[in-house]
Amino acid sequence: MKKSTALTTTLITSLTILLTGCGGASNSTNTGSNSQTQSANTSGAIPIGIAFAQTSNVALLGQEQVAGAKIAEKYFNDKGGVNGTPIKLVFQDTSGDENGAINAFQTLINKDKVVGIVGPTLSQQAFSADPVADRAKVPVLGASNTANKIPEIGDYVARVSAPVSIVAPNSVKAALKQNPNIKKVAVFFAQNDAFSKSETEIFQKTVKDQGLELVTVQKFQTSDTDFQSQATNAINLKPDLVIISGLAADGGNLVRQLRELGYKGLIVGGNGLNTSNILPVCKALCDGVLIAQAYSPEHPGEINSAFRKAYSDQFKKEPPQFSAQAFAAVQVYVEALQALDKKTKVNKLALPQLRNDLNKQILAGKYNTPLGEIAFTPVGEVVQKDFYVAQIKMDKDGSQGKFAFLK
Amino acid sequence: MSEFFSTYGSLIVSMVLGALLGLSLYLPLMTGQLSLASPGFYALGGYTAAILSTKVFTSTSDLFPIPLLLIEMVIAGVISGLLGVVIGIPTLRLRGIYLAIATIAFVEVLRVLSLNLEITGSAVGIFGIPQPFQTQIEYLWIALPLLLIAMVLFYRLERIKVGRAFTAIREDELAAGAMGINPTYYKVLAFTLGAILAGVVGAISAHFLNTWNARQGTFDASIIYLTFVLIGGSRTFLGSIVGGMVFTALPEVLRSLADTGGLPNWLAQFLRDGRLIIFGLLIVVGTIFFPQGLVTPDILKKRKVKNKQI
Repeated sequence: MKKSTALTTTLITSLTILLTGCGGASNSTNTGSNSQTQSANTSGAIPIGIAFAQTSNVALLGQEQVAGAKIAEKYFNDKGGVNGTPIKLVFQDTSGDENGAINAFQTLINKDKVVGIVGPTLSQQAFSADPVADRAKVPVLGASNTANKIPEIGDYVARVSAPVSIVAPNSVKAALKQNPNIKKVAVFFAQNDAFSKSETEIFQKTVKDQGLELVTVQKFQTSDTDFQSQATNAINLKPDLVIISGLAADGGNLVRQLRELGYKGLIVGGNGLNTSNILPVCKALCDGVLIAQAYSPEHPGEINSAFRKAYSDQFKKEPPQFSAQAFAAVQVYVEALQALDKKTKVNKLALPQLRNDLNKQILAGKYNTPLGEIAFTPVGEVVQKDFYVAQIKMDKDGSQGKFAFLK
Repeated sequence: MSEFFSTYGSLIVSMVLGALLGLSLYLPLMTGQLSLASPGFYALGGYTAAILSTKVFTSTSDLFPIPLLLIEMVIAGVISGLLGVVIGIPTLRLRGIYLAIATIAFVEVLRVLSLNLEITGSAVGIFGIPQPFQTQIEYLWIALPLLLIAMVLFYRLERIKVGRAFTAIREDELAAGAMGINPTYYKVLAFTLGAILAGVVGAISAHFLNTWNARQGTFDASIIYLTFVLIGGSRTFLGSIVGGMVFTALPEVLRSLADTGGLPNWLAQFLRDGRLIIFGLLIVVGTIFFPQGLVTPDILKKRKVKNKQI
């Protein structure tokens, strides 16, 4: 008993020390970041907040985004930053839930005193954290939020990621181009995934708009591994086209099981399948899956070739869409700051004023990014010119594959 | 100091909400019932508030009126309470692990329903929930009084007949029944009180998080809330409060520790990315060294009472 009391006391004391350490730590970092912002007012770096998921099950996407943002930081600082003043990216992990996103945003806004934020990774997190930034009057630029109604959250919220309603229909059109005889369409979607749920609505609408017949809608869960019953149900209806909205692991397995059960027609995948992580799942059977893209590594232009080179030098593969969008988001901040700096010196402005002016400037500008030329509507929705469709091409043995872009 | 509150405002409110959730799980545990249903009622309360505030109580003013928020909390509490009685009477015939499984199933049923219903926004959930306050920290005006009231009530509860009956059932249900205590009545009562509390907290959380979806109140959440109570201490209500606060704050404390200057780079990186690992380790260490939780009645009473459990 005595021992356990002593242990309890020690643990509670150490936790208290941890907590007070946190208070102390926050104070010391506060003064640290204060002096940084003060020096930012003279010559120091301009802090831009990056709130991506670096832990939890969303981290796969978040890490691609972090890579893109880091390349952007180096690229623009090498080019002289904002008219001579370098930028400094401040990373905070949002993890995968709503609370994490709010906490990361609060830390960036109040402690790191950033001029604006890129993120968060998930649309559901954006619904939770963006209103917080909007009320604090800090500009937010979503790099991967594709759900409907994100820019409508507030005046300070915009995004560079084209909404699913614009991107998704392109792949269906590409499928019709490859096989004009398509009549019957089967749709699959992951019922417990917010993104897949909104994407499938767009797909189903596209199918109807194209005058095709929607023969079945099958639901599954992102945690499923066995899709036999859904696949058999759909195959019995003899579809000419299958559209899948899911994530890499479940979507890949579904593709594999459809093919194994004898489905021969075209397959269109949603944005959740838009990652090379799908290739090891369905191997040779991935071949031929069509996926719409908001980014193509082969996009012409100086900035994309610089980005592509930097990325493939570091990671030995083509840059994925998430990295390109994160790069584009940082670029929008840098170029908006540059434009603002020409009118009034950025480091002369007080932080609230700077955040406000920056938000206006972001929406006013036009940017030539790796994604192509982009601009914003007054609400903050991205206006993007070019979209692409990629088709998965696998090697004969099914070990290696790539996303080949259709002309 | 104001900067401290603006940075950690949302965390402080989450800590208070965490403590309240811990209490809602502690109530059925007072009667010795391992129920994991709290997150289900939490989700239900959240959906109630989210639907009411976006569809029914649409106000034109800039801030959502606080009286309406209080009405939502009452409605959420009533709905959760009624459902608590309906669920409680059949499931509390089960004991131990079987009760745990049944309550997990209840949480899952609610989750699947919310994924399939149109009114709950399916997987996307409900967003654009109006805000009663300008900043996050002001939620303390609602959350803190609720916690204080709950603490007073729990303090009294542990000292009146009903609370004694709860403890008696926890220690030995058969003996308690033989002494004229109606176990079913008290077990359902404790379960329902926990459900009401969880529903009310859910209603606040829906506003606090701005959005509500099927990922709130899942099985994972059940386990985390159970951690609050078991590591915090399951023999006195203070344990749940301390556990709820400490374990809500811990991941964020580790985040700000990582931002402290002067740490070696690898350590800062580990604190930042590995903070959930540390969190898990602390839970393991906690269960090994403090099987009864951090806060036990013994350390509250100065004189040592011989613990009958060991």
